[in-house]
Amino acid sequence: MLPCGVYNERYGQDMAVVRTKRHWGILILAIFFLYLFPVFNLQYFISLINYLCITIIIVLGLQIVTGFCGQVSFGQAGFMAIGAYTSAILTLKFGVSFWLALPLSGLSAAVIGLIGGAPSLRIKGFYLAMATLAIHFLTMWLIMHVEITGSTQGLHPAPPSIGDFQFDSDGRMYYIIVSVMLLMTYGAKNMMRTRLGRAFVAIRDNDLAAEVMGINLYRYKLLAFFISCFYAGIAGSLWAHWIQMVHPEQFTVLHAVWYVGMLIVGGMSLTAGAFFGVIFLRGLDELVMFSSPFLASTFPWLGTHPAASLGVTAFGLILMVFLIFEPRGIAHRWEIFKTSYRLYPFAY
Amino acid sequence: MIDFLQLAITGLLTGGLYAMVGAAIVLVYKSTHVVSLAHGQFLAFGAFFFYIFITVLDLPFWAALPLTFLVAGAVGLAVERFSMRPLIGQPLFSAFLMTFAIFMTLDGIFQLILKGETRTLPRFLSAETLSVGGLNIPTGGMLSFGVALGMFFLLALFFRFTKVGLGMRATAEDHQLAQSTGISVRTVFSIVWIVSALVAAVAGISLARVMDIHYPLPWIGVKGLVVALFGGLDSLPGALLAGLILGILENLSAGYLDPLVGGGVGDVAAYVMLLLILLIKPFGLFGLKRIERI
Repeated sequence: MLPCGVYNERYGQDMAVVRTKRHWGILILAIFFLYLFPVFNLQYFISLINYLCITIIIVLGLQIVTGFCGQVSFGQAGFMAIGAYTSAILTLKFGVSFWLALPLSGLSAAVIGLIGGAPSLRIKGFYLAMATLAIHFLTMWLIMHVEITGSTQGLHPAPPSIGDFQFDSDGRMYYIIVSVMLLMTYGAKNMMRTRLGRAFVAIRDNDLAAEVMGINLYRYKLLAFFISCFYAGIAGSLWAHWIQMVHPEQFTVLHAVWYVGMLIVGGMSLTAGAFFGVIFLRGLDELVMFSSPFLASTFPWLGTHPAASLGVTAFGLILMVFLIFEPRGIAHRWEIFKTSYRLYPFAY
Repeated sequence: MIDFLQLAITGLLTGGLYAMVGAAIVLVYKSTHVVSLAHGQFLAFGAFFFYIFITVLDLPFWAALPLTFLVAGAVGLAVERFSMRPLIGQPLFSAFLMTFAIFMTLDGIFQLILKGETRTLPRFLSAETLSVGGLNIPTGGMLSFGVALGMFFLLALFFRFTKVGLGMRATAEDHQLAQSTGISVRTVFSIVWIVSALVAAVAGISLARVMDIHYPLPWIGVKGLVVALFGGLDSLPGALLAGLILGILENLSAGYLDPLVGGGVGDVAAYVMLLLILLIKPFGLFGLKRIERI
């Protein structure tokens, strides 16, 4: 929906991601503020934003394969683990620099993702969800039982560096993570206006019809998995070098489940959905974390550490509420809101 | 050889229990076409309630069992009423996601009430083992196996001959069509969630007798899904056969491969099997193949 008085006169305007001058202004201001943020030196928020950005990259990947292409994947945490471990092993054991290991870990996760996506050629919907779940468990089992990953000990990759400058604090890592996040967001946003994105949407809406129209299902479904796992791998690599610790406990099936939940809450099939979902659910998680000591002291029967279980319960309940009342997620509400304020003086 | 047989028999007895979990999932699918992840939780809660009744409240076995069924049925009904019913008529995939949301909610509650401890059920059935030609067969395990078989028989009769059972099968075909022939889809949903919660509770009690009540118990539900998929999602005999095969395979692979790769094969065997089934025969052993039209 375009604002009142804005018309598309050329093809370029019709295809533009950022449409009006005001959009450009807001975008540049937002990015400027994002890069200026560490100056305020709010340690908690800096590490929170790092965490959010990494999760956004993962959920964007999930958005591509699930939201755009309609292939449900519960394997995102496993692919993230592959990226994290590749990056850690490359930098620790082979002395590759982080800047090369980052894209390589994305690529390796993507190649494994091709194997993970192979079942999608035969099955879909719930069956595919189960297959990706199985792949997650297999991946994690392999990681636990292979020598090079340090199995249950985990690995401790070094922070990235340029020359003598080490990105060893939250505030320094912030710039890398935010930059990569912005790049990946642009990638996802841009993809949706290309032939690839349109093919994905056609497959999501009806894969048989898409095939009849001449879309090569094999190619595009595998490509969706490839791209999505590339995102997960990149996020894994960033995670490994930010936390400086890789351990199988960081990539459990529960994480994969949260990512899918974020997608549902945020809204499938809009890039903004990943942002809304991640921020909303992570915010909820933080809220539970903060309130749990208080809850534990007020209601002693909850036990001493109710944070984890209360978080999971709240997550499940929120998911239920969204599935019943707004299956299209927060992003859909946001779209409605935008339409209404752009048309403001008029009813519709 | 004797090792092999011993492993196979222990696996067979565990397999009977997996088959029961699978049966609960098949039950839901057969009558509503919803694939349920939530039954792992019903299983865990059934076992937990039974534990409460029999050890905390110190009730005798014959009183604890019906009470557990009552509570488990109530939980099933409550879950159906507040989460599944608003989704009647919505795409089936959102119903699947809803069962997943139920799983997460109950998972949190289960962790909360368990407080990270392990609860052990008293060995209310005989813990003796029977020796036949050098093989040790636990009698309690045989009893739960018998319960599983009996339940399968009853469920098969229910679906074939009773009016409610037939109505459930009709509902599975098409919600709107069933409703127009006078079947109340809502009632069917309620009944099936209660019955499947009961089946899961029986499975949970039998399983908890063998492996205690501790946190990963709900995740046995995923094995139930493997069983249901392997047998074919709408086939009760398939679930029985698949459960037994999964139990045996899991035990054998754990017994023979664990020393070679250093443990944990038993857990991952189910997932390898799941992946193979989905790749080779996605509709399972006896499942109906769905033909799609545009």
